[in-house]
Amino acid sequence: MNTTMRITVNGIPEDVPPSATLADLIDLLHEIDRDLIVEHNGRFVFPQEYSVTQVAGGDRVEFIHPNFGG
Amino acid sequence: MLTAEETRRYSRQIQLPEIGLEGQDRIGAGRVLVAGLGGLGSIGAYYLAAAGVGHLRLVDRDRVALDNLNRQILHASADIGRSKAASAAEKLSRLNPHCRVEAIETDIGDENAEALIEGCSVIFDATDNRATRQVLNRASVRRHVPFVYGGISGWQGTASTFIPGQTPCFSCLFPPMAETVEAEPPPALGPTAGLVASLQCLDTLRLLIGLVPRLAGRLLQFSGSTMEFRTLAIEPNPHCPVCSRLQYPSSP
Repeated sequence: MNTTMRITVNGIPEDVPPSATLADLIDLLHEIDRDLIVEHNGRFVFPQEYSVTQVAGGDRVEFIHPNFGG
Repeated sequence: MLTAEETRRYSRQIQLPEIGLEGQDRIGAGRVLVAGLGGLGSIGAYYLAAAGVGHLRLVDRDRVALDNLNRQILHASADIGRSKAASAAEKLSRLNPHCRVEAIETDIGDENAEALIEGCSVIFDATDNRATRQVLNRASVRRHVPFVYGGISGWQGTASTFIPGQTPCFSCLFPPMAETVEAEPPPALGPTAGLVASLQCLDTLRLLIGLVPRLAGRLLQFSGSTMEFRTLAIEPNPHCPVCSRLQYPSSP
């Protein structure tokens, strides 16, 4: 049994634990931006869904850092 | 009704089938709040005035400083120390005397935001912080005025158009929280601000003309370091403390 699965994060392959949630990925990849926007397989995900959204092998995740300067 | 001089002035955009004389009249009837006259506001206000927006209300609390001038191209070296709103108003009136320009030197807070957007058909967000955007967003939702958001940092920029009752609002994506003042302002590059403000202008003009704004329900992220644009479909957040009580159409 595989101990990791391969997903793509911001275009880069990453090996992560099976059944990892988006919240786990945020921790694992040290995403500390409080305004982080998460896209999972092309779909926007609300922060309240991070801890209950599991990723599967082959999934694509994008972490988007919005800007607030003017 | 446009004068012959105005018809000539705007002729190159009147040529567009989506604009025409009728659309130009609508642009002329438009009143836009430009919140912030920095990097985004310099370009935004300039294009809106040039395009013939009839009335611009310019709001900024700041005065022009030397380190603004790499990007805030509505202001010049001789303006250092002047109110940004007044400096901007002078240039815009010179550019287009048909545009009625109001300059207001003030902070934007919950106590005055609704008064500032009174009579405006669009809020053009050119502020430089999250907290002021929360204030403008609350006023946008309460008064049902579209909020055209843009933000930059260095090579990167973000934009979206929030339409109360139809799309998510700013707080759906960025929930209000204890706002902290950045210790250091983010890096700022003129062309990034110019690009994001230009995108905001396109949607502002679309709103004034009565076309569907293309960033409604979408978040656009631009990277000037990779020259890539990404857009992501976004939905109203059922937990949003600001707009979740509004009625949204069941099928957008």
